[in-house]
Amino acid sequence: MAMQDKSWRDGALQLSTLPLLVIFAAFFVIPLGMTALLSFQGTQYYRLVWTWDLDIWRDVFGQWHYWRIMWRTLVMALVCTALTTVLAVPIAYAMINRLSKWSHHITLLMVFAFLTDAVLKTFGWVLFLDRSGVLNGMLAGLGFGPGAVDVLFSPTATMIGMVYNLLPYTIFTTALSMARIDRDLVLASYDAGATRLRTFFEVTLPLARPGILAGAVLVFVLALGVFLEPKVMGGGTSPMAAELIRQSFETRVNWPLGAALTIVLIVIGALVLAAAGGLAAIRMRRSKA
Amino acid sequence: MKKTNGLSMFSPNRRAFLQGMGATGMAAAGMMPRRARAATSMQYMCWEGYDKPSIIEPFEAAQDVNLSIDLITDSPGGFAKLAAGAWRDFDVVSTDSPWVQRMGPAGIAEFIDDAEFADVYDSFYEQFRAPFGPLQFDGQTTGLPTRWGWVGPTVNTQYDDLDTWRSYDPCFDPAYKDKICVLDWGDWPIMPMALHAGINPYKELDQAELNEIRLVLRALFKNTRAVVADLSVAQKGLMDGSFRTLIGGGTYCTSALRKDGQKHIQSIVPEPKDGLNQGIIWMEASGIVKDPADAAKAKALLKHMTSPEVAVELAWTEATCNLVPSQAAEGLFSDEQKDVLQMDYMWEAWDKSMFHDVAPNIDDMLEIWQQELAAAR
Repeated sequence: MAMQDKSWRDGALQLSTLPLLVIFAAFFVIPLGMTALLSFQGTQYYRLVWTWDLDIWRDVFGQWHYWRIMWRTLVMALVCTALTTVLAVPIAYAMINRLSKWSHHITLLMVFAFLTDAVLKTFGWVLFLDRSGVLNGMLAGLGFGPGAVDVLFSPTATMIGMVYNLLPYTIFTTALSMARIDRDLVLASYDAGATRLRTFFEVTLPLARPGILAGAVLVFVLALGVFLEPKVMGGGTSPMAAELIRQSFETRVNWPLGAALTIVLIVIGALVLAAAGGLAAIRMRRSKA
Repeated sequence: MKKTNGLSMFSPNRRAFLQGMGATGMAAAGMMPRRARAATSMQYMCWEGYDKPSIIEPFEAAQDVNLSIDLITDSPGGFAKLAAGAWRDFDVVSTDSPWVQRMGPAGIAEFIDDAEFADVYDSFYEQFRAPFGPLQFDGQTTGLPTRWGWVGPTVNTQYDDLDTWRSYDPCFDPAYKDKICVLDWGDWPIMPMALHAGINPYKELDQAELNEIRLVLRALFKNTRAVVADLSVAQKGLMDGSFRTLIGGGTYCTSALRKDGQKHIQSIVPEPKDGLNQGIIWMEASGIVKDPADAAKAKALLKHMTSPEVAVELAWTEATCNLVPSQAAEGLFSDEQKDVLQMDYMWEAWDKSMFHDVAPNIDDMLEIWQQELAAAR
């Protein structure tokens, strides 16, 4: 703790963080501030008018449908975070412990898929899930009726797309965390008579928690801003926040409204993360006590 | 003119910057490609198709101009960009006609003298000749029409008779549940639904009329399978029958499919209802942005874009095929091209349609659209 205090007072260290501070201010704080300022302006005849009033914010807080979309976005992001985390843990565990011989190949395949353009992947899913697509073609070949799976253009399809596109984040962070676990601790658990399952839940999982949490935070933040999946796979009938913001900026040419909704989304995301962080801290304190 | 003085070279606009960069580059390298050695540099904001090399290159060669293209994907966005100050960067714009019409009075485009373009108007169909109301404001004209088509039901006749779609009734028929595609193209899907509800959306609307529009959109979303922005997804659904029609679409969506031989896909307009035409004519126009760097060349580009030979090129592009206002161009189309463009039907569609405009209550309608879409599922 003393080392940490000393470090932050260290002038050399402060100087070395200056470039990062400048970048952070230039590319995050200042644009965010400008976005906030924009939300106090108005539009007239598709042109920005510098009104400096609260009209847009009255509109934001007075329209239920904005909040309905924000709520939907929040729920979808939380579900996506939960699903990717639940899926990532066994996959990462298998990569590190059971398929370690193939882990490089699996990682390579995942990186390849991860780096493939999201638009291509998303449209690929459309072709796969379509009523006359690959999946239904295969199922028809197996004797199922035509269009046996009809999930395209539904929230389910949106979720499939979100989980697919965001899963690598949780897999990589969780796998990294698991790879750093001291193998002797796991062996000690076995020596003490614990089963594989008990060892997994009482040794591996708690030690992998930092990676799991990091992945979950990454996925949650990214899931709040998904645009392609609800638009292309979800069929646009269950719009999420990013689409609402796009509509405000682009279709309605109401930049102050788009700016205000952007601020709302950022605040919601920050509040949820702060709440999750607070809960984690309380739990940690209790477990230490 | 004011942009050619010495001081304006240092004004923060892209055109001056690019010109300066070009000159510096030429001086430094002395080996720039042909286009960059052009005497004049022009900036052109336009929709897809206008940037076709077979359209642009002859103009560049004839006028010794280097034309930089900025493609737009939505007309209000293009207008907003110009209005926000980008008019200083551009010379010519080609976008949806209601937006071009408004650029003149908004002070971001030049009014044109119809007499200067008399030869162009003479080559147009009678319906587009001067004085051409849809591009006028207080008797002053901003721009010339360049492409057009109609908005109405898009029908795959392998699945539906054309007669089925002589009205928008099937959109609300339970038999068509989950078979309707609504295009997420701004106000385009809202307008036909308003007309179907018996409301002319192009006039000032009262609360009761806006509420009617809300109800018709609510009913539409009940039968809607998807709200699609991507043309290829919409076209695919239309081809395989999963979408029986594309609301907000029309010739813009079907012509490319017809070009590929799918002649069983057609765009029609519904029959007039309660004295109200149900089809909508959309039109693109080209205008001269305020204070172009070279007014003569900007006018030349407008004349180039509306010449019969270029009109044929403009009608026949990779992504879409569209009608043009040039009557002189009609003879240059092959029979196959005329068939693809449904030219035998175009005046019937015209007669049964309203002319698209920026509606006075557009923001109210878009807000209603957002609200109803948010509640759809």
